[in-house]
Amino acid sequence: MGVFASRVFQALQRFSSGGNIRVLLLGLDAAGKTTILYKVKLNETVYTIPTIGFNVESLSPVKGLNFIVWDVAGQDKFRYLWRYYYTGTQGLLYVVDSADRVRLEEAREELLTIIKSPDMERVPLVVVANKQDMTEALTTSEVADGLGLREITDRKWYVQGACAETGDGIYESMQEMARLVKEVYKK
Amino acid sequence: METVQSTNSFNISDLTEEEQALLMTIQQTKQQLLLEIQELKREIEDVTNELVGMDMGDENKPDPKAKQARQISIGRKKFNMDPKKGIEFLIEHDLLQHTPEDVARFLFQGEGLNKTAIGDYLGERHDFNMNVLKAFVNLHEFGDMILVQALRQFLWSFRLPGEAQKIDRMMECFAERYCFLNPGMFVNTDTCYVLSFAIIMLNTSLHNPSVKDKPTVERFIDMNRGINDGGNLPVELLTNLYDNIKKEPFKIPEDDGNDLMHTFFNPIKEGWLMKQGGRVRSWKRRWFILNDNCLYYFQYTTDKEPKGIIPLENIQVREVLSEKSKPNCFELFSAGTLDIIKACKVDSDGKVVEGRHSVYRMAASSVDEKEDWISCIRSSINDNPFYNMLAARRENATGSHARTK
Repeated sequence: MGVFASRVFQALQRFSSGGNIRVLLLGLDAAGKTTILYKVKLNETVYTIPTIGFNVESLSPVKGLNFIVWDVAGQDKFRYLWRYYYTGTQGLLYVVDSADRVRLEEAREELLTIIKSPDMERVPLVVVANKQDMTEALTTSEVADGLGLREITDRKWYVQGACAETGDGIYESMQEMARLVKEVYKK
Repeated sequence: METVQSTNSFNISDLTEEEQALLMTIQQTKQQLLLEIQELKREIEDVTNELVGMDMGDENKPDPKAKQARQISIGRKKFNMDPKKGIEFLIEHDLLQHTPEDVARFLFQGEGLNKTAIGDYLGERHDFNMNVLKAFVNLHEFGDMILVQALRQFLWSFRLPGEAQKIDRMMECFAERYCFLNPGMFVNTDTCYVLSFAIIMLNTSLHNPSVKDKPTVERFIDMNRGINDGGNLPVELLTNLYDNIKKEPFKIPEDDGNDLMHTFFNPIKEGWLMKQGGRVRSWKRRWFILNDNCLYYFQYTTDKEPKGIIPLENIQVREVLSEKSKPNCFELFSAGTLDIIKACKVDSDGKVVEGRHSVYRMAASSVDEKEDWISCIRSSINDNPFYNMLAARRENATGSHARTK
Protein backbone atom coordinates (compact mmCIF):
# COMPACT_ATOMS: atom_id res chain seq x y z
CA MET A 1 0.00 0.00 0.00
CA GLY A 2 2.85 2.32 0.85
CA VAL A 3 4.34 1.81 -2.58
CA PHE A 4 1.02 2.43 -4.17
CA ALA A 5 0.43 5.62 -2.20
CA SER A 6 3.83 6.98 -3.19
CA ARG A 7 3.08 6.16 -6.80
CA VAL A 8 -0.17 8.06 -6.62
CA PHE A 9 1.66 10.90 -5.00
CA GLN A 10 4.22 10.91 -7.79
CA ALA A 11 1.45 10.87 -10.36
CA LEU A 12 -0.29 13.67 -8.56
CA GLN A 13 2.87 15.69 -8.51
CA ARG A 14 3.36 15.21 -12.21
CA PHE A 15 -0.26 15.98 -12.79
CA SER A 16 -0.37 19.17 -10.80
CA SER A 17 2.84 20.44 -12.34
CA GLY A 18 1.11 20.23 -15.70
CA GLY A 19 3.17 17.17 -16.57
CA ASN A 20 2.36 14.41 -18.95
CA ILE A 21 -0.14 11.64 -18.44
CA ARG A 22 1.10 8.33 -19.70
CA VAL A 23 -1.67 6.51 -21.53
CA LEU A 24 -1.36 3.10 -23.10
CA LEU A 25 -3.32 2.35 -26.24
CA LEU A 26 -3.89 -1.37 -26.39
CA GLY A 27 -6.09 -3.79 -28.27
CA LEU A 28 -5.91 -6.62 -30.75
CA ASP A 29 -4.65 -6.27 -34.31
CA ALA A 30 -6.87 -4.31 -36.65
CA ALA A 31 -9.07 -3.04 -33.83
CA GLY A 32 -8.37 0.47 -35.10
CA LYS A 33 -5.69 1.75 -32.73
CA THR A 34 -3.60 3.53 -35.34
CA THR A 35 -6.63 5.16 -36.95
CA ILE A 36 -7.77 6.46 -33.56
CA LEU A 37 -4.31 7.72 -32.67
CA TYR A 38 -3.92 9.67 -35.88
CA LYS A 39 -7.52 10.85 -36.00
CA VAL A 40 -6.91 12.71 -32.76
CA LYS A 41 -3.51 13.80 -33.97
CA LEU A 42 -4.92 15.16 -37.23
CA ASN A 43 -6.55 18.08 -35.50
CA GLU A 44 -3.16 19.29 -34.44
CA THR A 45 -0.56 20.45 -36.84
CA VAL A 46 2.53 19.69 -34.85
CA TYR A 47 5.35 18.46 -36.98
CA THR A 48 7.18 15.55 -35.43
CA ILE A 49 10.37 14.02 -36.67
CA PRO A 50 9.63 10.49 -37.83
CA THR A 51 11.22 7.80 -35.70
CA ILE A 52 11.61 4.10 -36.29
CA GLY A 53 9.64 2.28 -33.64
CA PHE A 54 6.28 2.21 -31.96
CA ASN A 55 3.61 4.78 -32.57
CA VAL A 56 3.87 7.22 -29.73
CA GLU A 57 2.00 10.49 -29.90
CA SER A 58 1.55 13.29 -27.52
CA LEU A 59 -2.06 14.47 -27.48
CA SER A 60 -3.81 17.20 -25.63
CA PRO A 61 -7.54 16.40 -25.56
CA VAL A 62 -8.26 18.80 -22.70
CA LYS A 63 -6.50 22.01 -21.80
CA GLY A 64 -3.75 21.42 -19.27
CA LEU A 65 -3.67 17.66 -19.87
CA ASN A 66 -1.11 16.07 -22.06
CA PHE A 67 -1.46 12.41 -22.97
CA ILE A 68 1.55 10.47 -24.12
CA VAL A 69 -0.10 7.62 -25.94
CA TRP A 70 1.89 4.48 -26.61
CA ASP A 71 0.75 1.78 -29.00
CA VAL A 72 2.34 -1.32 -27.50
CA ALA A 73 1.10 -4.86 -27.52
CA GLY A 74 0.89 -7.13 -24.54
CA GLN A 75 2.18 -10.40 -25.92
CA ASP A 76 2.77 -13.00 -23.30
CA LYS A 77 6.39 -13.38 -24.30
CA PHE A 78 7.06 -9.80 -23.33
CA ARG A 79 5.84 -10.08 -19.77
CA TYR A 80 9.37 -9.20 -18.70
CA LEU A 81 9.19 -6.00 -20.70
CA TRP A 82 5.73 -5.10 -19.51
CA ARG A 83 6.79 -3.50 -16.31
CA TYR A 84 8.92 -1.18 -18.37
CA TYR A 85 6.09 0.40 -20.23
CA TYR A 86 3.35 -0.31 -17.69
CA THR A 87 5.17 1.50 -14.89
CA GLY A 88 3.85 4.99 -14.46
CA THR A 89 0.85 4.38 -16.68
CA GLN A 90 -2.10 6.49 -15.66
CA GLY A 91 -4.66 5.51 -18.24
CA LEU A 92 -5.51 2.56 -20.41
CA LEU A 93 -7.33 2.99 -23.68
CA TYR A 94 -8.44 -0.41 -24.87
CA VAL A 95 -9.73 -0.58 -28.43
CA VAL A 96 -12.12 -3.34 -29.51
CA ASP A 97 -13.49 -4.10 -32.95
CA SER A 98 -17.21 -4.27 -32.08
CA ALA A 99 -17.96 -6.09 -35.32
CA ASP A 100 -15.47 -8.90 -34.74
CA ARG A 101 -17.50 -11.23 -32.54
CA VAL A 102 -15.08 -14.08 -33.17
CA ARG A 103 -12.16 -12.33 -31.51
CA LEU A 104 -14.05 -10.73 -28.64
CA GLU A 105 -13.09 -13.58 -26.32
CA GLU A 106 -9.44 -13.13 -27.30
CA ALA A 107 -9.79 -9.43 -26.59
CA ARG A 108 -11.29 -10.22 -23.18
CA GLU A 109 -8.40 -12.52 -22.27
CA GLU A 110 -5.83 -9.98 -23.35
CA LEU A 111 -7.51 -7.22 -21.38
CA LEU A 112 -7.63 -9.39 -18.26
CA THR A 113 -3.93 -10.21 -18.54
CA ILE A 114 -3.09 -6.52 -18.85
CA ILE A 115 -5.10 -5.28 -15.90
CA LYS A 116 -3.89 -8.15 -13.72
CA SER A 117 -0.36 -6.74 -13.89
CA PRO A 118 0.57 -5.06 -10.58
CA ASP A 119 1.78 -1.98 -12.44
CA MET A 120 -1.67 -1.47 -13.87
CA GLU A 121 -3.36 -1.47 -10.49
CA ARG A 122 -6.21 1.06 -10.28
CA VAL A 123 -5.33 2.51 -13.68
CA PRO A 124 -8.62 3.75 -15.15
CA LEU A 125 -9.84 1.99 -18.26
CA VAL A 126 -11.69 3.42 -21.23
CA VAL A 127 -12.84 0.81 -23.71
CA VAL A 128 -13.36 2.18 -27.19
CA ALA A 129 -16.01 0.02 -28.85
CA ASN A 130 -14.88 0.79 -32.36
CA LYS A 131 -16.51 0.19 -35.75
CA GLN A 132 -20.02 1.01 -34.50
CA ASP A 133 -20.93 1.89 -38.07
CA MET A 134 -20.85 -1.77 -39.11
CA THR A 135 -24.25 -3.42 -39.26
CA GLU A 136 -23.07 -6.48 -37.34
CA ALA A 137 -21.47 -4.38 -34.60
CA LEU A 138 -22.23 -5.24 -30.98
CA THR A 139 -23.70 -2.47 -28.85
CA THR A 140 -21.53 -0.87 -26.16
CA SER A 141 -23.49 -2.82 -23.56
CA GLU A 142 -22.82 -6.09 -25.39
CA VAL A 143 -19.15 -5.21 -25.65
CA ALA A 144 -19.06 -4.53 -21.91
CA ASP A 145 -20.60 -7.95 -21.29
CA GLY A 146 -18.34 -9.70 -23.77
CA LEU A 147 -15.24 -8.23 -22.13
CA GLY A 148 -16.55 -9.06 -18.65
CA LEU A 149 -16.25 -5.42 -17.61
CA ARG A 150 -19.04 -5.69 -15.07
CA GLU A 151 -16.85 -8.00 -13.01
CA ILE A 152 -14.11 -5.38 -12.83
CA THR A 153 -14.44 -3.67 -9.49
CA ASP A 154 -10.90 -2.56 -8.74
CA ARG A 155 -10.89 0.43 -11.07
CA LYS A 156 -13.00 2.97 -12.89
CA TRP A 157 -14.02 1.95 -16.37
CA TYR A 158 -16.12 3.31 -19.17
CA VAL A 159 -17.21 2.07 -22.58
CA GLN A 160 -17.46 4.54 -25.43
CA GLY A 161 -18.95 3.62 -28.78
CA ALA A 162 -16.91 5.00 -31.67
CA CYS A 163 -16.17 4.96 -35.36
CA ALA A 164 -12.50 5.74 -35.89
CA GLU A 165 -12.90 6.22 -39.63
CA THR A 166 -15.27 9.16 -39.20
CA GLY A 167 -13.86 10.21 -35.84
CA ASP A 168 -17.20 9.75 -34.06
CA GLY A 169 -16.74 9.04 -30.38
CA ILE A 170 -12.99 9.47 -30.40
CA TYR A 171 -12.99 12.88 -28.83
CA GLU A 172 -15.50 11.62 -26.25
CA SER A 173 -13.19 8.69 -25.40
CA MET A 174 -10.33 11.09 -24.73
CA GLN A 175 -12.57 13.37 -22.69
CA GLU A 176 -13.74 10.43 -20.63
CA MET A 177 -10.16 9.33 -20.09
CA ALA A 178 -9.24 12.83 -18.93
CA ARG A 179 -12.18 12.83 -16.53
CA LEU A 180 -11.29 9.43 -15.06
CA VAL A 181 -7.62 10.31 -14.75
CA LYS A 182 -8.53 13.46 -12.87
CA GLU A 183 -10.92 11.59 -10.63
CA VAL A 184 -8.47 8.84 -9.75
CA TYR A 185 -5.33 10.88 -9.26
CA LYS A 186 -6.53 14.24 -8.03
CA LYS A 187 -8.34 12.99 -4.94
CA MET B 1 -25.50 -1.69 -110.72
CA GLU B 2 -27.12 -4.90 -111.76
CA THR B 3 -30.55 -3.31 -111.74
CA VAL B 4 -29.24 -0.50 -113.88
CA GLN B 5 -27.88 -2.98 -116.43
CA SER B 6 -31.06 -5.05 -116.48
CA THR B 7 -33.16 -1.92 -116.87
CA ASN B 8 -30.75 -0.98 -119.61
CA SER B 9 -31.15 -4.27 -121.52
CA PHE B 10 -34.90 -4.22 -121.12
CA ASN B 11 -35.70 -0.63 -121.90
CA ILE B 12 -32.82 0.81 -123.86
CA SER B 13 -34.60 0.51 -127.22
CA ASP B 14 -37.72 2.25 -125.90
CA LEU B 15 -35.79 5.36 -125.08
CA THR B 16 -35.14 8.29 -127.30
CA GLU B 17 -31.62 9.05 -128.35
CA GLU B 18 -31.49 11.96 -125.93
CA GLU B 19 -32.74 9.81 -123.12
CA GLN B 20 -30.16 7.17 -123.99
CA ALA B 21 -27.38 9.76 -123.88
CA LEU B 22 -28.63 10.99 -120.52
CA LEU B 23 -28.71 7.47 -119.21
CA MET B 24 -25.13 6.92 -120.35
CA THR B 25 -24.03 10.03 -118.47
CA ILE B 26 -25.91 8.92 -115.42
CA GLN B 27 -24.28 5.52 -115.61
CA GLN B 28 -20.83 7.02 -115.99
CA THR B 29 -21.37 9.36 -113.05
CA LYS B 30 -22.60 6.48 -110.98
CA GLN B 31 -19.59 4.39 -111.88
CA GLN B 32 -17.33 7.23 -110.94
CA LEU B 33 -19.12 7.75 -107.66
CA LEU B 34 -18.88 4.09 -106.82
CA LEU B 35 -15.16 4.17 -107.48
CA GLU B 36 -14.84 7.20 -105.27
CA ILE B 37 -16.82 5.53 -102.52
CA GLN B 38 -14.54 2.55 -102.72
CA GLU B 39 -11.49 4.72 -102.55
CA LEU B 40 -12.89 6.53 -99.53
CA LYS B 41 -13.70 3.24 -97.87
CA ARG B 42 -10.13 2.10 -98.36
CA GLU B 43 -8.86 5.35 -96.93
CA ILE B 44 -11.14 5.07 -93.93
CA GLU B 45 -9.91 1.54 -93.41
CA ASP B 46 -6.30 2.72 -93.53
CA VAL B 47 -6.94 5.49 -91.04
CA THR B 48 -8.91 3.17 -88.76
CA ASN B 49 -6.08 0.67 -88.82
CA GLU B 50 -3.67 3.39 -88.02
CA LEU B 51 -5.81 4.54 -85.12
CA VAL B 52 -6.16 1.01 -83.79
CA GLY B 53 -2.41 0.71 -84.05
CA MET B 54 -2.04 3.89 -82.04
CA ASP B 55 -4.57 2.80 -79.46
CA MET B 56 -2.81 -0.46 -78.84
CA GLY B 57 0.59 1.10 -79.39
CA ASP B 58 2.64 -1.19 -77.21
CA GLU B 59 0.81 -4.41 -78.00
CA ASN B 60 1.89 -4.05 -81.59
CA LYS B 61 5.48 -3.47 -80.71
CA PRO B 62 7.55 -6.44 -81.68
CA ASP B 63 9.66 -6.17 -78.52
CA PRO B 64 7.95 -8.08 -75.72
CA LYS B 65 10.69 -7.05 -73.31
CA ALA B 66 9.78 -3.39 -73.64
CA LYS B 67 6.18 -4.23 -72.95
CA GLN B 68 7.15 -6.28 -69.94
CA ALA B 69 9.34 -3.51 -68.59
CA ARG B 70 6.44 -1.12 -68.94
CA GLN B 71 4.08 -3.48 -67.13
CA ILE B 72 6.56 -3.94 -64.31
CA SER B 73 6.89 -0.21 -63.99
CA ILE B 74 3.08 0.13 -63.83
CA GLY B 75 3.04 -2.63 -61.21
CA ARG B 76 5.62 -0.81 -59.11
CA LYS B 77 3.66 2.41 -59.23
CA LYS B 78 0.49 0.56 -58.28
CA PHE B 79 2.35 -1.11 -55.43
CA ASN B 80 3.49 2.22 -54.06
CA MET B 81 -0.09 3.50 -54.09
CA ASP B 82 -1.67 0.29 -52.80
CA PRO B 83 0.69 -2.63 -52.13
CA LYS B 84 -1.96 -5.32 -52.38
CA LYS B 85 -3.25 -4.08 -55.73
CA GLY B 86 0.27 -3.77 -57.09
CA ILE B 87 1.13 -7.37 -56.25
CA GLU B 88 -2.20 -8.56 -57.69
CA PHE B 89 -1.48 -6.67 -60.89
CA LEU B 90 1.99 -8.19 -61.25
CA ILE B 91 0.68 -11.69 -60.61
CA GLU B 92 -2.18 -11.21 -63.09
CA HIS B 93 0.28 -10.16 -65.77
CA ASP B 94 2.57 -13.13 -65.09
CA LEU B 95 5.37 -10.90 -63.90
CA LEU B 96 5.33 -12.49 -60.47
CA GLN B 97 4.47 -15.96 -59.36
CA HIS B 98 1.85 -16.33 -56.69
CA THR B 99 4.31 -17.72 -54.17
CA PRO B 100 5.61 -16.09 -50.99
CA GLU B 101 9.18 -16.65 -52.23
CA ASP B 102 8.70 -14.85 -55.52
CA VAL B 103 6.85 -11.92 -53.99
CA ALA B 104 9.50 -11.71 -51.24
CA ARG B 105 12.27 -11.59 -53.83
CA PHE B 106 10.51 -8.75 -55.61
CA LEU B 107 10.21 -6.78 -52.35
CA PHE B 108 13.76 -7.58 -51.33
CA GLN B 109 15.18 -6.30 -54.61
CA GLY B 110 12.92 -3.34 -53.97
CA GLU B 111 13.73 -1.53 -57.21
CA GLY B 112 11.45 1.47 -57.59
CA LEU B 113 9.44 0.49 -54.53
CA ASN B 114 8.43 2.71 -51.68
CA LYS B 115 9.78 1.32 -48.41
CA THR B 116 6.73 2.34 -46.42
CA ALA B 117 4.61 0.37 -48.88
CA ILE B 118 6.89 -2.65 -48.44
CA GLY B 119 6.51 -2.36 -44.66
CA ASP B 120 2.73 -2.10 -44.96
CA TYR B 121 2.59 -5.19 -47.12
CA LEU B 122 4.85 -7.23 -44.86
CA GLY B 123 2.89 -6.17 -41.78
CA GLU B 124 -0.53 -7.39 -42.93
CA ARG B 125 -2.01 -10.12 -40.78
CA HIS B 126 -2.96 -12.43 -43.65
CA ASP B 127 -1.47 -15.88 -44.08
CA PHE B 128 0.02 -15.06 -47.46
CA ASN B 129 1.55 -11.77 -46.25
CA MET B 130 2.99 -13.47 -43.19
CA ASN B 131 4.55 -16.12 -45.39
CA VAL B 132 5.99 -13.40 -47.60
CA LEU B 133 7.42 -11.81 -44.46
CA LYS B 134 9.12 -15.06 -43.53
CA ALA B 135 10.51 -15.54 -47.03
CA PHE B 136 11.59 -11.88 -47.07
CA VAL B 137 13.51 -12.23 -43.81
CA ASN B 138 15.13 -15.40 -45.12
CA LEU B 139 16.66 -13.45 -47.99
CA HIS B 140 18.71 -11.45 -45.50
CA GLU B 141 22.22 -12.56 -44.57
CA PHE B 142 22.97 -11.88 -40.93
CA GLY B 143 25.82 -14.35 -40.45
CA ASP B 144 28.68 -13.12 -38.19
CA MET B 145 26.91 -9.89 -37.39
CA ILE B 146 26.19 -8.52 -33.95
CA LEU B 147 22.48 -8.23 -33.25
CA VAL B 148 22.16 -4.47 -33.56
CA GLN B 149 24.10 -4.47 -36.83
CA ALA B 150 21.79 -7.13 -38.25
CA LEU B 151 18.78 -5.20 -37.01
CA ARG B 152 20.03 -2.04 -38.68
CA GLN B 153 20.45 -3.87 -41.96
CA PHE B 154 17.01 -5.47 -41.65
CA LEU B 155 15.28 -2.18 -40.82
CA TRP B 156 16.85 -0.52 -43.85
CA SER B 157 15.12 -2.90 -46.26
CA PHE B 158 11.63 -1.59 -45.44
CA ARG B 159 9.99 1.05 -43.27
CA LEU B 160 9.01 -0.58 -39.98
CA PRO B 161 5.32 0.12 -39.31
CA GLY B 162 4.46 1.67 -35.93
CA GLU B 163 1.82 -0.86 -34.88
CA ALA B 164 2.97 -3.02 -32.00
CA GLN B 165 1.56 -6.27 -33.40
CA LYS B 166 3.25 -5.73 -36.73
CA ILE B 167 6.56 -4.97 -35.05
CA ASP B 168 6.01 -8.08 -32.96
CA ARG B 169 5.62 -10.37 -35.99
CA MET B 170 8.56 -8.77 -37.75
CA MET B 171 10.87 -9.13 -34.76
CA GLU B 172 9.83 -12.74 -34.30
CA CYS B 173 10.78 -13.57 -37.90
CA PHE B 174 13.95 -11.54 -37.61
CA ALA B 175 15.03 -13.32 -34.43
CA GLU B 176 14.42 -16.72 -35.94
CA ARG B 177 16.57 -15.91 -38.93
CA TYR B 178 19.29 -14.32 -36.83
CA CYS B 179 19.50 -17.27 -34.46
CA PHE B 180 19.50 -19.72 -37.35
CA LEU B 181 22.50 -17.97 -38.90
CA ASN B 182 24.24 -17.35 -35.57
CA PRO B 183 23.73 -20.49 -33.52
CA GLY B 184 24.90 -20.27 -29.93
CA MET B 185 24.57 -16.50 -29.72
CA PHE B 186 21.44 -16.75 -27.58
CA VAL B 187 20.10 -19.42 -25.28
CA ASN B 188 16.97 -19.60 -27.39
CA THR B 189 15.17 -17.73 -30.14
CA ASP B 190 12.72 -16.12 -27.72
CA THR B 191 15.55 -14.34 -25.91
CA CYS B 192 16.67 -12.82 -29.19
CA TYR B 193 13.05 -12.00 -30.10
CA VAL B 194 12.29 -10.22 -26.81
CA LEU B 195 15.62 -8.39 -26.91
CA SER B 196 14.98 -7.22 -30.48
CA PHE B 197 11.56 -5.97 -29.40
CA ALA B 198 13.18 -4.20 -26.44
CA ILE B 199 15.69 -2.53 -28.77
CA ILE B 200 12.85 -1.12 -30.87
CA MET B 201 11.27 0.16 -27.66
CA LEU B 202 14.55 1.70 -26.65
CA ASN B 203 14.90 3.44 -30.01
CA THR B 204 11.35 4.78 -29.63
CA SER B 205 11.97 5.98 -26.08
CA LEU B 206 15.29 7.62 -26.81
CA HIS B 207 14.49 9.24 -30.12
CA ASN B 208 10.76 9.79 -30.48
CA PRO B 209 10.23 13.43 -29.50
CA SER B 210 6.85 12.57 -27.97
CA VAL B 211 8.51 10.47 -25.29
CA LYS B 212 9.55 12.86 -22.59
CA ASP B 213 11.12 10.63 -19.97
CA LYS B 214 14.21 9.19 -21.61
CA PRO B 215 15.31 5.93 -19.99
CA THR B 216 18.77 5.58 -18.51
CA VAL B 217 21.04 2.64 -19.21
CA GLU B 218 20.21 1.27 -15.74
CA ARG B 219 16.55 1.29 -16.58
CA PHE B 220 17.22 -0.49 -19.88
CA ILE B 221 19.24 -3.17 -18.08
CA ASP B 222 16.52 -3.47 -15.46
CA MET B 223 13.79 -3.83 -18.03
CA ASN B 224 15.60 -6.70 -19.69
CA ARG B 225 16.00 -8.63 -16.46
CA GLY B 226 14.91 -12.22 -16.81
CA ILE B 227 14.49 -12.26 -20.58
CA ASN B 228 17.26 -14.81 -21.07
CA ASP B 229 15.11 -17.84 -20.39
CA GLY B 230 14.56 -16.58 -16.87
CA GLY B 231 18.18 -15.49 -16.45
CA ASN B 232 19.87 -12.20 -17.27
CA LEU B 233 21.86 -11.17 -20.30
CA PRO B 234 25.43 -9.91 -19.74
CA VAL B 235 25.45 -6.28 -18.61
CA GLU B 236 28.15 -5.36 -21.17
CA LEU B 237 25.95 -6.61 -23.99
CA LEU B 238 23.02 -4.47 -22.82
CA THR B 239 25.24 -1.46 -22.14
CA ASN B 240 26.75 -1.70 -25.60
CA LEU B 241 23.31 -1.97 -27.14
CA TYR B 242 22.11 1.05 -25.20
CA ASP B 243 25.10 3.16 -26.22
CA ASN B 244 24.82 2.06 -29.80
CA ILE B 245 21.16 3.06 -30.11
CA LYS B 246 21.62 6.24 -28.13
CA LYS B 247 24.49 7.34 -30.34
CA GLU B 248 22.78 6.44 -33.56
CA PRO B 249 19.03 6.01 -33.99
CA PHE B 250 17.71 3.59 -36.58
CA LYS B 251 17.74 5.40 -39.89
CA ILE B 252 14.55 5.98 -41.78
CA PRO B 253 15.15 3.90 -44.91
CA GLU B 254 15.42 5.92 -48.07
CA ASP B 255 12.95 5.20 -50.77
CA ASP B 256 13.98 3.73 -53.99
CA GLY B 257 10.41 4.23 -55.00
CA ASN B 258 10.23 7.91 -55.67
CA ASP B 259 8.76 7.82 -59.17
CA LEU B 260 9.37 11.49 -59.55
CA MET B 261 13.05 11.05 -58.82
CA HIS B 262 13.26 8.60 -61.70
CA THR B 263 11.52 11.14 -63.86
CA PHE B 264 13.90 13.89 -62.90
CA PHE B 265 16.92 11.74 -63.53
CA ASN B 266 18.33 12.06 -67.08
CA PRO B 267 15.88 14.68 -68.27
CA ILE B 268 15.65 15.80 -71.90
CA LYS B 269 16.47 19.31 -70.81
CA GLU B 270 16.79 21.20 -67.53
CA GLY B 271 17.73 24.69 -66.50
CA TRP B 272 16.73 28.00 -64.94
CA LEU B 273 14.01 30.04 -66.58
CA MET B 274 12.02 33.05 -65.48
CA LYS B 275 8.33 32.19 -65.32
CA GLN B 276 5.49 34.66 -65.33
CA GLY B 277 2.71 34.12 -62.79
CA GLY B 278 -0.79 33.13 -63.88
CA ARG B 279 -2.77 35.67 -61.92
CA VAL B 280 -0.12 38.00 -60.60
CA ARG B 281 2.04 38.80 -63.59
CA SER B 282 5.29 38.81 -61.70
CA TRP B 283 8.37 36.93 -62.85
CA LYS B 284 9.91 34.22 -60.73
CA ARG B 285 13.01 32.19 -61.23
CA ARG B 286 12.23 28.50 -61.49
CA TRP B 287 14.24 25.40 -62.23
CA PHE B 288 12.60 23.60 -65.16
CA ILE B 289 12.91 19.96 -66.09
CA LEU B 290 11.58 18.56 -69.33
CA ASN B 291 10.91 14.83 -69.41
CA ASP B 292 8.20 12.27 -70.12
CA ASN B 293 6.14 14.75 -72.12
CA CYS B 294 5.85 16.94 -69.07
CA LEU B 295 7.40 20.17 -68.00
CA TYR B 296 8.15 20.36 -64.27
CA TYR B 297 9.29 23.39 -62.38
CA PHE B 298 10.90 23.72 -58.98
CA GLN B 299 11.77 26.51 -56.64
CA TYR B 300 15.24 25.10 -55.98
CA THR B 301 17.31 22.56 -57.85
CA THR B 302 17.48 20.43 -54.72
CA ASP B 303 13.69 20.22 -54.25
CA LYS B 304 12.47 16.66 -54.33
CA GLU B 305 9.01 17.57 -55.48
CA PRO B 306 8.09 20.05 -58.17
CA LYS B 307 6.13 23.21 -57.57
CA GLY B 308 4.23 22.69 -60.77
CA ILE B 309 3.64 20.17 -63.53
CA ILE B 310 2.52 21.02 -67.07
CA PRO B 311 1.65 18.01 -69.21
CA LEU B 312 2.64 18.76 -72.81
CA GLU B 313 -0.66 17.59 -74.12
CA ASN B 314 -2.86 19.57 -76.44
CA ILE B 315 -0.60 22.56 -76.20
CA GLN B 316 1.84 24.35 -78.45
CA VAL B 317 4.90 26.45 -77.97
CA ARG B 318 5.79 29.74 -79.67
CA GLU B 319 8.27 32.52 -79.50
CA VAL B 320 7.13 35.78 -77.90
CA LEU B 321 8.57 38.98 -79.28
CA SER B 322 6.06 41.42 -77.81
CA GLU B 323 7.16 41.02 -74.18
CA LYS B 324 8.75 44.31 -73.24
CA SER B 325 9.95 43.51 -69.74
CA LYS B 326 11.98 40.42 -70.63
CA PRO B 327 14.04 39.33 -73.59
CA ASN B 328 14.19 35.75 -74.95
CA CYS B 329 10.57 34.95 -74.19
CA PHE B 330 8.49 32.01 -75.30
CA GLU B 331 5.16 30.66 -74.23
CA LEU B 332 3.03 27.57 -74.08
CA PHE B 333 -0.54 28.01 -75.25
CA SER B 334 -3.54 25.78 -75.53
CA ALA B 335 -3.99 24.12 -78.89
CA GLY B 336 -7.34 22.62 -78.00
CA THR B 337 -10.69 24.15 -77.33
CA LEU B 338 -9.91 24.85 -73.69
CA ASP B 339 -8.65 28.29 -72.82
CA ILE B 340 -6.82 27.18 -69.72
CA ILE B 341 -3.84 24.90 -70.01
CA LYS B 342 -4.30 21.69 -68.07
CA ALA B 343 -1.66 21.80 -65.34
CA CYS B 344 -1.27 21.63 -61.61
CA LYS B 345 0.82 23.37 -59.01
CA VAL B 346 1.38 23.50 -55.29
CA ASP B 347 -0.09 26.62 -53.72
CA SER B 348 1.30 28.56 -50.79
CA ASP B 349 -0.51 26.28 -48.31
CA GLY B 350 1.12 23.21 -49.81
CA LYS B 351 -2.09 22.06 -51.50
CA VAL B 352 -2.07 20.76 -55.06
CA VAL B 353 -4.36 22.93 -57.15
CA GLU B 354 -5.19 23.26 -60.84
CA GLY B 355 -3.17 25.82 -62.73
CA ARG B 356 -4.92 28.96 -63.99
CA HIS B 357 -2.73 29.78 -66.93
CA SER B 358 -4.13 30.37 -70.38
CA VAL B 359 -0.51 30.80 -71.45
CA TYR B 360 2.70 29.93 -69.68
CA ARG B 361 5.22 32.61 -70.46
CA MET B 362 8.87 31.93 -69.80
CA ALA B 363 12.06 33.88 -70.36
CA ALA B 364 15.41 32.26 -71.06
CA SER B 365 18.79 33.75 -70.34
CA SER B 366 19.91 33.86 -73.97
CA VAL B 367 18.64 33.52 -77.52
CA ASP B 368 20.30 30.11 -77.88
CA GLU B 369 18.73 28.88 -74.66
CA LYS B 370 15.33 30.10 -75.75
CA GLU B 371 15.61 28.34 -79.10
CA ASP B 372 16.82 25.17 -77.50
CA TRP B 373 13.92 25.15 -75.03
CA ILE B 374 11.40 25.79 -77.82
CA SER B 375 12.75 23.02 -79.97
CA CYS B 376 13.00 20.55 -77.07
CA ILE B 377 9.48 21.32 -75.90
CA ARG B 378 8.18 21.13 -79.44
CA SER B 379 9.67 17.70 -79.98
CA SER B 380 8.29 16.54 -76.64
CA ILE B 381 4.84 17.60 -77.73
CA ASN B 382 5.20 15.84 -81.03
CA ASP B 383 6.46 12.74 -79.32
CA ASN B 384 3.20 12.33 -77.50
CA PRO B 385 1.27 9.47 -79.16
CA PHE B 386 -1.97 10.62 -77.60
CA TYR B 387 -1.56 14.02 -79.12
CA ASN B 388 -0.77 12.49 -82.51
CA MET B 389 -3.81 10.32 -82.29
CA LEU B 390 -6.02 13.26 -81.48
CA ALA B 391 -4.53 15.24 -84.32
CA ALA B 392 -5.04 12.34 -86.74
CA ARG B 393 -8.62 11.96 -85.64
CA ARG B 394 -9.31 15.60 -86.03
CA GLU B 395 -7.77 15.69 -89.47
CA ASN B 396 -9.66 12.61 -90.48
CA ALA B 397 -12.97 14.05 -89.33
CA THR B 398 -12.52 17.42 -90.99
CA GLY B 399 -10.93 15.88 -94.11
CA SER B 400 -13.75 13.47 -94.92
CA HIS B 401 -16.27 16.14 -94.10
CA ALA B 402 -14.73 18.39 -96.73
CA ARG B 403 -14.79 15.64 -99.33
CA THR B 404 -18.47 14.82 -98.94
CA LYS B 405 -19.37 18.44 -99.54
